[in-house]
Amino acid sequence: MAEDETIFDPTLKKKKKKKKATFDIDAALAEGNDSLDGNTLSGENDALVANDENDDANADIDLDFTKQKKKKKKKPFSTDDLEAALNDVKDETSGLEGTNQDEEIIDDNFDLDFNKLKKKKKSKKKDLDEIMAEVDDKAEDKENVDDNAITWSGSDRDYTYEELLNRAFEIMRDKNPDMAAGKKQKFVMRPPQVVKIGAKKTSFANFTEICKMLHRQPKHLLDFLLAELGTSGSVDGNSQLIIKGRFQQKQIENVLRRYIKEYVTCHTCRSPDTILQKDTRLFFLQCETCGSRCSVASIKSGFQAVTSKRAAMRAKTA
Amino acid sequence: MSIQNLNTFDPFADASKGADDDVQDGLVHIRIQQRNGRKTLTTVQGLSSEYDLKKIVRACKKEFACNGTVIEHPEYGEVLQLQGDQRENICQWLTKAGLAKPDQLKVHGF
Repeated sequence: MAEDETIFDPTLKKKKKKKKATFDIDAALAEGNDSLDGNTLSGENDALVANDENDDANADIDLDFTKQKKKKKKKPFSTDDLEAALNDVKDETSGLEGTNQDEEIIDDNFDLDFNKLKKKKKSKKKDLDEIMAEVDDKAEDKENVDDNAITWSGSDRDYTYEELLNRAFEIMRDKNPDMAAGKKQKFVMRPPQVVKIGAKKTSFANFTEICKMLHRQPKHLLDFLLAELGTSGSVDGNSQLIIKGRFQQKQIENVLRRYIKEYVTCHTCRSPDTILQKDTRLFFLQCETCGSRCSVASIKSGFQAVTSKRAAMRAKTA
Repeated sequence: MSIQNLNTFDPFADASKGADDDVQDGLVHIRIQQRNGRKTLTTVQGLSSEYDLKKIVRACKKEFACNGTVIEHPEYGEVLQLQGDQRENICQWLTKAGLAKPDQLKVHGF
């Protein structure tokens, strides 16, 4: 049975993350509504547990586990354990945020996260071995993540500040899922198709497509790309971007990510639903979700060193 | 007992000091440029003019084992130029030497 759990647990985690990860810009609202429906149920603690178990395939086993665990936990409860658990939860949430920040390298992060989780579980095993003789560590861990607000709900002891804080945040997230402080809005980008043309040029094939996805003028993105890469380039007849110099897809991805961070996502609420408008020589980012409006840095290419042959340049100008 | 009003306190002391720290927008731009083949060039623009860039470049050359020079540009002032991709090196070095804070550094390029 223990083995069953070990196999089962990561898949559950993965499912949850994937749910968040596959957020489309356009589908964001619909998805948000769905999760709202799901989360309103979980106002009561029992409903939350039930909700989680509905997702599971083998609900019966899980139910047994949770009950067992609750009984055990009430007896040997000490603040040290709780703090350790809280720290675990914190770490995991921070890891989650990390994955949310990235966009395309989600798969890599999954692996990383797993390693972290597993390591933590092992260390925990040593600490709690005396207390939790029979109970599976992983089941317990999972429950801590899912409903840490429940653990003290029945007991008489005083609540710690962190517990109450967690509870407040849980409720806030449950009630309005598309809030900035809650879960981060994610939108998945199609990766840029970068192809080499000969030895010295690179083609960015789906350039206009990506511009459309970001709702930005191709010229603006072009300016940014060329300024950041410190090269020259142009859009050709097939609406693909030809950049001078050799670039890999990963490098272009990095630059695109920076562009999205600066010019697409709202600086206040991080929603991608924004409009970029020019006003008295300055670009302003107007958010459609929260209504904030802020100026963004102008695109400047800055200092360009001479990389071509000086003699050739002199011949050209003279 | 001392009378607070008689203390000599210059309210503009930190203001004048702060003005020295930043140049224009206070950012140090670190860029990379591709040259022929897989060679690259790193440029550092926006370091405060009160530092002796020649000394900085001498230290950098020794530290990163690369060549480098200071270029005088009419618009951007003195610009450091180093051979190779020294973006991470220069970031660490500038913060370690206390020439710029990490949030002042802006790394461009891929």
